[in-house]
Amino acid sequence: MVKGEVPNIVALEVLKKNGVNVEKLKELLTKGVGAEFTTYYYYTILRMHCTGLDGEGIKEIVEDARIEDRNHFEAMVPRLYELGGSLPKDIRKFADQAGCPDAYLPDNWEDINSILKVLLEAEQCAIRSWGEVCDMTAGKDPRTYDIAQRIMQEEVEHEAWFIELLSKRPSGHFRRKFAGQSPHTGSQGSLIHL
Amino acid sequence: MNGNTKMKRHPVCKSEELTEGSIMKVTVGMEDIMIGRKNGRLFACNNSCPHKGASLSKGHMNGDNIVCYMHGYEYNVFSGKLEDMKSWKKEPTWVEQDEEWRKSGDLFLYPISEENGMVYVSLKEAQP
Repeated sequence: MVKGEVPNIVALEVLKKNGVNVEKLKELLTKGVGAEFTTYYYYTILRMHCTGLDGEGIKEIVEDARIEDRNHFEAMVPRLYELGGSLPKDIRKFADQAGCPDAYLPDNWEDINSILKVLLEAEQCAIRSWGEVCDMTAGKDPRTYDIAQRIMQEEVEHEAWFIELLSKRPSGHFRRKFAGQSPHTGSQGSLIHL
Repeated sequence: MNGNTKMKRHPVCKSEELTEGSIMKVTVGMEDIMIGRKNGRLFACNNSCPHKGASLSKGHMNGDNIVCYMHGYEYNVFSGKLEDMKSWKKEPTWVEQDEEWRKSGDLFLYPISEENGMVYVSLKEAQP
């Protein structure tokens, strides 16, 4: 084989035969991991502003969500490359193409509820975003589907946590075994730091 | 749509399935297409939102606009034009998103027709 020549990739061939639009899938994955990475960044700022007695009560749960969102980025990026995709070379373009809005620190951050509302909005967008990937790959691309559904399970938990904190609706949550445990995506082989 | 491009008409559903005010997703080859009927007029567009790629068929109609369920952007289904670039700000104290993140193209429209109880969408013919 000539150097640089890519042989037939059976793992891609079967996806196409299964009816997966691989180009569209790569686009959605790039947007999805973009949202996870930017959320990790913005959650760092939000967590730093969980101050005072109220803030002390939620900073650990924000930290769980922050680290787990980074884990989601780590879990899906290798799959993006397997599919022949890649991350944008410029991080500014990477952020601009992200599938979800930047979780900016609100002006009235001293009110802890205002931070919780931003966190909730970010999680809800992530659920929709990974739901798109699950819909596109269910029954057609088990490998991408498996990673996406694991990420989505944790995003659903995050949403439930923040709804509980805002509205008192029980979420069933107690605590992670350690910060950013990622009980669902943590078993992904790529997460070597866990 | 380029007038010189050879188009192929594909049957996508029965006329009776596309009731007044409804939208649905159909797939032709690898393309997911949203079709619908509004005030008796048919429309067809690519199902991928031009903003961030969400499935438009999961949205709802507001007049002649399809409202994307992901970020609330609205596009006119007949002209394809972006009509309402919704702000993400749910509270006055939230900071607006960067322009680059907010911008969006228009819908990609397909010719759609109805004949003998069937609905057809026309796509560029695949090159051999």
